[in-house]
Formats: sequence, C-alpha cells, structure tokens
Amino acid sequence: MTERRLLRLAILVFWTLFWGLSVTDKVIPDVQHLWVGKDFFALFIKFFASLGLKDPLFATAALALVSGLEAVNFGLYLVALISFRKGDAAVTDRWFFRAILVSMVLFSLFSIADQVFGDRFQLLEHGLFWIILLASWVVFRHIPMEDGATLGASPSATTRGWVVGGLVLTLATVATLWRFSDATFHQVEAPVAGQEVVDGIYKFDFPFLADKVVWENTVNAFMDEHPDLKVRYIYTGPSELNSKKKTHLLLYVFTEPA
Amino acid sequence: MDNPLIKSRSTQQLLRYAILLYWSIFWLFNLIDKAVGGAHFLWVGRDRFAQFQKYFASVGLDSPHIANAALAVAAALEAFAFVFFAGALVHELRGRTDSSHRLALIGTLFTLGTFTFFSIGDHWFGDRFELLEHTLFWFVSLVSWVVFTRLKAQAPTDPVALPKAQRLIAGIAGGVLVVVTATAIFRHNTTDFPKRTAAIAAEPVGDHIYKVAFPFLGGSSVFENSLALFKEQHPNEAIQHIYTVPNPLRLKKADALIFYIITEDTP
Repeated sequence: MTERRLLRLAILVFWTLFWGLSVTDKVIPDVQHLWVGKDFFALFIKFFASLGLKDPLFATAALALVSGLEAVNFGLYLVALISFRKGDAAVTDRWFFRAILVSMVLFSLFSIADQVFGDRFQLLEHGLFWIILLASWVVFRHIPMEDGATLGASPSATTRGWVVGGLVLTLATVATLWRFSDATFHQVEAPVAGQEVVDGIYKFDFPFLADKVVWENTVNAFMDEHPDLKVRYIYTGPSELNSKKKTHLLLYVFTEPA
Repeated sequence: MDNPLIKSRSTQQLLRYAILLYWSIFWLFNLIDKAVGGAHFLWVGRDRFAQFQKYFASVGLDSPHIANAALAVAAALEAFAFVFFAGALVHELRGRTDSSHRLALIGTLFTLGTFTFFSIGDHWFGDRFELLEHTLFWFVSLVSWVVFTRLKAQAPTDPVALPKAQRLIAGIAGGVLVVVTATAIFRHNTTDFPKRTAAIAAEPVGDHIYKVAFPFLGGSSVFENSLALFKEQHPNEAIQHIYTVPNPLRLKKADALIFYIITEDTP
C-alpha cells in the first residue's frame, strides 16, 4: 500500500471508530455488563434542569436529535471507508467530506450548548475536536504525499532487523508487566495495614488497585485487630494531602477506647 | 564555541532530528513506565496495571489476565513505534533519508494505531478526558508526520548559531536573569521549605469549631503534625468531625487546603 493510502486509511479508521463507538454509547444506556461508556441521558437531564427545563421530554428530545445526527454521521464515514476499500478515491473523498462537514456541524451544536449551559471545559474539548476534524480533512485531501513509495508485505532486511528488535522489546516489557501484575494483584481485595500517626489516629495508604472492597476489608480487619478501640470517625484525605501522582488515597481513622 | 552539528546542518534538518528524537523518547519512556510498574525511588510514572485492571473490572471483567493481555497489546504497539522511530533517527543521522523516511512512516502508523486503540478503550470505559488526550496525541502524530515530510533533509544550510556580539549580549542578559530568578527561588526555599512538615496551629472560629489553613507545600505530614498539635493544645476536647472546604468555597487559586475541626468536650 502506498504512503498516501496508508495515512488516509488511518484517518478514516480513526473517525469511523470514533463515531461508531459514540453511537454505540448512546444506544447502550447507563452502565451495563461489558460496557460503561458515559451516561449522556443523565448529563442532558442535568444540563436542561440547570436551565429550569425539568421536564425530561426536553433532554430526551435533544439527546434523540443528537444521537440521530451522530448515527447519520457514522453512516457517512462507513460509506467513505467502504469506498476506500473498493479503491474509488473520488467517491471516498466525497463521502468523507460529507462526514467531516456533518461532524463539524455536530461539534458546533455541542459548542453552542456548552456556552448556554456554561460548561467551559466541554467547550474547549469540543473546540479541539472540531479543529482536529478540520485538520484531518486537510491532511486527508490537500496535503500531497508520496504515491509511488509503497510499504510491501516483504520488508527489507533493515526493516526486518528493527522488527526483531521490536519483538524482543515487546517480550521483555510483557514479561515485566506480568511479573508486576502477579506481585500486586492481591491488592485488589487485601486489607491495608494502618499506621498510628497521632495518638488514636491511624493512617491507611491505599494502593492504586484498591476500591470499595479494599475499604470494607480494611475497616473490618482494623476492628478485628483492635478490639479495644472504637472507630469514631473516618476522614478521607483530600487530594492535597497526596504526594502528587505517587499516592492514590489516604484514609484516616479516628478512634477512642471501646 | 560553535556547535559543529548546529553549524553544519540546515534548520530543516535539525527539525527533522527533533521530530524523530521526540517520538523516540516519547515511546521509550512509555515503555520504561510499563516495565518499571508502580512507584519506586526516582521513578513514579503511572501504575498502568492498576488503571487497566480497574477499567476492565468496571465492565465486569475482573480477571487480571484480561488487563495483562490489553497491556501486552499496548506494549507491543509502543515497542514497535519506539523501535521504528529510533531506527529512523539512526538512519537520518547517517544521512540515509530514504530509509529514515520509510521507518518514520511505519513509526507514525504504529503511533496512530496505538492512539486509535486507546481511543476505543476510552469510549468503552467512558473516560472522555482520556479520549480528548488520545485524540490530541493522534492529531499531533499526524501533523508531525506532515511536517517531517515537508522538511527537506538536504536543504540549503541556514545559519543557526548567533554572531559573536549577539552571543555576548544574550549571555550577559541571560546570566543576569538567571541570577535574579535563582536568588528569588533559593530565598523562597529558605523561608518556606519548613512549611512542608511544620504543624499549623488551629484557629478558633466558633464554638468548638477550629480552622486550619494549609500552605501550598502542605501534605499528609503537615496534616498529621497539625492534628497532633491540636490534640496537645486541646486535651479536653475530642475531634468529632473534620470538614474539608470544597473548591467552590476557596478563593480561586489563592487558597490551598482548608479544613475545620469540629470538637466536643471529653467527658
């Protein structure tokens, strides 16, 4: 495949997956087994309620409209991808342009909503997606790339050498990953040991793997180990108490004699 | 002294090196982060196993083998991206621009593939911030490839090094600025570094309510030392509750952590 075709394929695949998964996320509501996604229904309900429109009909209608547009948009990318597979460059360009245009309209609509609802972070997010789409189109259509050079199925000896290097590096990294996983996986449920930092106050430094199960096991283990103490109060250390990215969660347990 | 590398290479050639070097380092450190795993002395990085394990557990796939398999795919993509960019850099330095171009293209394709792979996960696990981050990296990779191919390896040499007079003025101005800035920073360090551990005295603000306003350097040691000091200064009161002031109630970036200690008299 030529350099030009490879990069066009990478752009098409990225955006087709992007919109295909966005539509899937709208079709699957809430959190399900094998899918978490984002609860857009809850988001829209809250946005419209903040405007004083508490009737769920407004949020539902808006979400249905957006989802419909996204589905149509995904269809356009899919047609472009199929045309690309067939090698029809002119048809691919036409459908990809339509898809990009609809995507940009969608992000413009989202940006209007972000301004109305006062969500400046989402405004930045949608603005960035909008410019990336525009630039993707420019790269896809207007940047000249080599059409003669190809990356064949039988690479040169030099390339084969680098592939071997990549394989060795992958195996080494995977081996250390596996060892780390084996060494730390027990932290998914193992209770954390507390340290008495002030008289009657115990600190628990939770590992990154810990979740609510670890919390429950920790509190139960602590009470078993200290039958002479009564848990009076539990304080979750705010992020300011963490050592930047090194600490996951600090928990302080305040006790008194039982 | 003129750097011979800078003097003999065109600005376009230097930027080509910079692009290849950036992506080589980018992927090398991602790989090291995966290989190191967890926080150690002189390396914190990010616990990718914990991150992947939690993502998969959130969709009901608790087995560590699934997280391991996904990490292995990510590591493979990153390893190949690194190897091809490093290879491209080696060939570029030796003046073999055709080989460099081919290897950089493969490296870019691996980079685009890696970020596409991560984006699928972001949709699946509902992490919209990471989706934006990965899309931006995808875009940066695409643009850097376009820039790389537009820059000519054998372009006419433009002078990069400064003439002697400019170098002298820049050196003096730079030296003065470095001295002024460094003095201010070292002075700040002398006066403020103890705040990293020093206990803060709680200030009474109501009946059995005390305020503790943290310095920006404060962390868990300050918190613990402040509680110890509080207990020492108020032996007849027991801490009933600690209320952390939420961000909307703080003065933008001027307030660090503030919390209130609510107490009751010990019987």
